[in-house]
Amino acid sequence: MTREQWERLKVLFSGALEQPAERRHEWLTLQAQGDEALVREAGALLDAHDTAAGFLEEPAVVDPADLAAVDELHTGTRIGSYEIEHEIGRGGMGVVYLARDLRLGRRVALKALPQLHDSNEALRERLRREARAAANIAHPTVATVYALEEVDGRLFIASEYIEGHSLRSEIESGRLEPRRAIAFAIDIVSGLCAAHDVRVVHRDLKPENVLITSSGSVKVVDFGIAHIDTINTRLTREGDVIGTPAYMAPEQLIGGTVDARVDIYAVGVILTEMLTGQHPLAPDRPSMPVSASEIAWRCIQTDPNARYQSARELLAALEGELANSNALPEPVPRARWWWEFHQAAVSSVYAAMVWPTWLARNVIGGQVGNAVFVTVLAAAIVAVTLRLHLWFTSRFYLAELGWARARATGWMLVSDAILASGLVVAGVLVGDARPALAVIEIAVAVGAATAFAVVEPATTRAAFGQTDRL
Amino acid sequence: MTPDPISSLMPLVYDELRRIAAGYIRRERPGQTLQATALVNEAFVRLASERPRPFANRQHFVAIAALSMRQILVQRARARKAAKRGGAPDRVTLDEGLVSAEPPGVDVLALDEALTRLAALDPEQARIVELRYFGGLTVEETAEVIGVSPATVKRQWAMARAWLKRAVDTAPDHGADASL
Repeated sequence: MTREQWERLKVLFSGALEQPAERRHEWLTLQAQGDEALVREAGALLDAHDTAAGFLEEPAVVDPADLAAVDELHTGTRIGSYEIEHEIGRGGMGVVYLARDLRLGRRVALKALPQLHDSNEALRERLRREARAAANIAHPTVATVYALEEVDGRLFIASEYIEGHSLRSEIESGRLEPRRAIAFAIDIVSGLCAAHDVRVVHRDLKPENVLITSSGSVKVVDFGIAHIDTINTRLTREGDVIGTPAYMAPEQLIGGTVDARVDIYAVGVILTEMLTGQHPLAPDRPSMPVSASEIAWRCIQTDPNARYQSARELLAALEGELANSNALPEPVPRARWWWEFHQAAVSSVYAAMVWPTWLARNVIGGQVGNAVFVTVLAAAIVAVTLRLHLWFTSRFYLAELGWARARATGWMLVSDAILASGLVVAGVLVGDARPALAVIEIAVAVGAATAFAVVEPATTRAAFGQTDRL
Repeated sequence: MTPDPISSLMPLVYDELRRIAAGYIRRERPGQTLQATALVNEAFVRLASERPRPFANRQHFVAIAALSMRQILVQRARARKAAKRGGAPDRVTLDEGLVSAEPPGVDVLALDEALTRLAALDPEQARIVELRYFGGLTVEETAEVIGVSPATVKRQWAMARAWLKRAVDTAPDHGADASL
């Protein structure tokens, strides 16, 4: 039927309906001006209209069980040459199954793309194109796309199956150590470089799409095709707080033109989360190393032109950061804070003891008094200097601390012992003349010995996990 | 790289419909059916509270929701047919059990196929059917979505229904299935 015939049929049908039933045929014949075929067609339609009472009049109904079962594939189902083992993930509409490739005998991650209506050829073609593009990315930190399969009009993407856990679970179990976080970021961004080189933008980079294999290496999954789920996963069930908009660049959120720089934005968010456990825009976000924070901040600029302009540029910045971070002190863990406090406190007490010992020297007098004072002074200087040296090393040259401790331990043992002995001698000699001074000298000597024997090993073990003395 | 809005919003609606269904399964008695109107409205209310709101307006949303419903019903009908392949003649009766006095159910696969053919002849009529039947819209709402008068929608709807009825009843492939 031509367009013109259809339009005439529409006019005839509508016109005839307005006529009384018994006059319709007559009216049609008159209007059709001898076009028999058209009269027959209109007549048949009118008959159908009369018998169509109830047809489509109530909107479609659906059994909720049917609706919920859409897209489910069960264990053992064959999809082409793949056999489904079980579901491993669900991102909105794209359900990911663990499947076995029966031809090659290997396990694959099989992503079932949304069942598309036959009429939706445009989207189908886009998915094909994007899967093909993603298959062009060859990089060790990107999960390899093996194949695009079309089975019964349905699209499946088979890709490398990665055994491991997601970066999300890593972040949830606590902040990452800075160098580890930056190393992860470098792996992610190296993968981005390879993808952007073949003009594939991830568009939905987030910790869930970054997997850490059992051997500790990074694999970015769902390149280019992930955004099909983007809008889905962004929707959260009631009560859920976290969703993907957190990783979406502003231009992506407002549906603007999207390019490779949206991935740069996502890296900024991920980097901050690895280092602080919080979104960069969270109000009560803990602090992070200044230089890493500067990198992240530049990534998440609202204006894409203010970000790093390419993955390669960002990669260079991260690599510089990694090199720097090797020279930077680590944030101080609580146990080490106590160890540092202990060293500082002991140093202060030792230094303070010089004054009572000077008073004791004056009381004792003569060569003996001088000898006791000089002994205590020398021992205190050595002990305090060594402790401050270790304290300084732990703050600024952490890597050398073990070596510094190994060297200092013997000297500290000797100087502490001499100091304690000197104090005891001073206390005993001054005893009768100045009892208060004697008590102070001896009490500090006992205290120093106790600290050295009990407290120091404890704080050292807590801070460094070793039992050797400082 | 800006995605076509309909294509990229479909999964969203699709998924929301599925979530609603899952909610019903948890809460309600089994065997209960949901009408397109209720489903689409519920999905709209839930999605409209999202920030940023993914839809330009309700019309935009409903058009996508209706298409999603059509796809879901067709997919399930196909799955059933595949499951019963070789067994008794397949007939997907969607209205069955809802109201016993209701005329027999609609063969969704036959309807879908006929609707695709109608769309080639008259895209507007096909759209009206999709919105009214799969989206559960009233004549007035449909008129608003398409941007024509309610009278036009009524006329087109009457003809589309007659055309589809005839197509479904006489479709050779569905001779057995469609003899309701």
